[in-house]
Amino acid sequence: MPLTNLPAFAPDLIADLEGLGTERVDTPVIQPAEPFLDMAGEDLRRRIFMTESETGKSLCLRPEFTIPVCLRHIETATGTPRRYSYLGEVFRQRRDGANEFYQAGIEDLGEPDIARADARIVRDALHVIGNRLPGMALSVTLGDQAIFEAVVAACGLPAGWQKRLIHAFGNPAQLQKLIADLSDPAPSGVFGPEVERLARLGILDDEAKLIAHIDATMEATGYSTNASRSPAAIARRLREKRELASTRLDSRTLALLKEFLALELSLAEAPQALAAFAAKARLSLGAALERFDARVTALREAGVDPATIIYRAAFGRPLDYYTGLVFEITPAGETSVLVGGGRFDRLLTLLGAKERIPAVGFSLWLDRIASAGGAAA
Amino acid sequence: MTITIGLPSKGRMKEDSSAVLARAGFTVTAVGNDRSYRGRVEGRDDIEIAFLSASEISREIANGTVDFGVTGEDLVREGLAEADARVEFCARLGFGHADVVVAVPEIWLDVDTMADLGDVATDFRARHGRRLTIATKYWRLTQQFFSGNHGIQLYRIVESLGATEGAPASGSADIIVDITSTGSTLVANHLKILSDGVILRSEACLVRARKPEHEGDAVVAEIIERVRGAL
Repeated sequence: MPLTNLPAFAPDLIADLEGLGTERVDTPVIQPAEPFLDMAGEDLRRRIFMTESETGKSLCLRPEFTIPVCLRHIETATGTPRRYSYLGEVFRQRRDGANEFYQAGIEDLGEPDIARADARIVRDALHVIGNRLPGMALSVTLGDQAIFEAVVAACGLPAGWQKRLIHAFGNPAQLQKLIADLSDPAPSGVFGPEVERLARLGILDDEAKLIAHIDATMEATGYSTNASRSPAAIARRLREKRELASTRLDSRTLALLKEFLALELSLAEAPQALAAFAAKARLSLGAALERFDARVTALREAGVDPATIIYRAAFGRPLDYYTGLVFEITPAGETSVLVGGGRFDRLLTLLGAKERIPAVGFSLWLDRIASAGGAAA
Repeated sequence: MTITIGLPSKGRMKEDSSAVLARAGFTVTAVGNDRSYRGRVEGRDDIEIAFLSASEISREIANGTVDFGVTGEDLVREGLAEADARVEFCARLGFGHADVVVAVPEIWLDVDTMADLGDVATDFRARHGRRLTIATKYWRLTQQFFSGNHGIQLYRIVESLGATEGAPASGSADIIVDITSTGSTLVANHLKILSDGVILRSEACLVRARKPEHEGDAVVAEIIERVRGAL
């Protein structure tokens, strides 16, 4: 039984990360819990180890590194671009594996050339995992949320539906259910008796009257002072919802979405396949497709052969701060993720950065890498 | 082996549980005085009664201190992860009815379903600079229902241990998840239940701890059978 679960390859890994031009940072193990719950949602609460300070502040054991590294960057206000690396223990309740384990990775903050930064992060991930598991066959899967967003927008779907679809992207079961619901919406009864009463009174079709009615009701019920949604916002969404009540996802769009989500092919062939899909479907995917192609070119320039990467159109992460590239690396033919990475251009602003800072990074699961190496040896 | 049954230690729940057991042929009496926390069943040395506070019963069943308990399904499902693997709901007793529901301000005219709420939650942060907040004491049930059943991730729970219905009006949360039996408190606070917002229809249940030694135990089988027969 070793005295530490830090894998023996850790020093070599640190040397590799530093050799890639990164600055190694450490963050406290005890972190404020709020940013994690705010970013990842309440589901995380069951999986992190939480405690309280004497003053009642929620604290947790570091469940991952991206948020602490980004918070540290914002606090130290050191300017961009910066490339940080880390290696340390994280704490999460998992179904399989120990509750404390090591992760290492790179966070690349503020590089304005998106394609170049994306290509570099994939290359760096392949470099460090290749050095840990020399000769092992690996599968690399890549996805791009921006392409899905462009497809949904180009289909001309109502804004409310676009938001729902984009929100469900990356959660296959949820997305499938949503698409089924939109193509066969539940009949009526979704407005409630109060809305029906207002319709009979003729208030519903006159937005100004409706806003005045909502405002007066809020006032009368003592809700105005603390109302978190304004009368105008409620009236506007009610109008949108009524407009959508009689529409459904037509069969052509349904077929297009399904065809798109089923795409899975070599990244080398993906630009052509996406262009062909767009042409056949008569959709203009515009800038999203250009950025996708630029990333493939940048990967080639960085020395990564796109033919060794699988592009899967439905691959994404259902978190609202992920914006474009996502990728993961597993042993060939297995599902255990050794490296997960992606672009999160919204995260730093959500965490309080004053300006928009594009960001991309990856994280290595050291315990899984160690056991994959052990199994191969 | 002595079988222990945990019963609520006061109020309507105590009376109703004792009444069901009496109809099943188990007359419960307190040991010593009326306020004692230990009881017995007349003529039965093989059954013990432990009077516990409502919130303790599910925990005591989970750690096996008692073999059976009479308590609300809501408290068991909220208190225990993977409740069905750890306990058996042997009988629904027909009292202590309460629904755990999702309720929003009545004036949110555009929100009638969980899908509507999901839409509102999705861009809440963009509009308000913070996540949608839910006041509740039912953390686990809320998480399971919102994320598991409806794919809604983007919200925050604000712990509320009392007067949850007042949270939206006081501004401490946007919506609530709470129990209601008649719905009148919700109406009085200008809240409405979403049409698909019933998380759980709860009532008092006879709950058994899943213990291996219960297998083939005649008293355990007898208690379940006679309580079921008394309903």
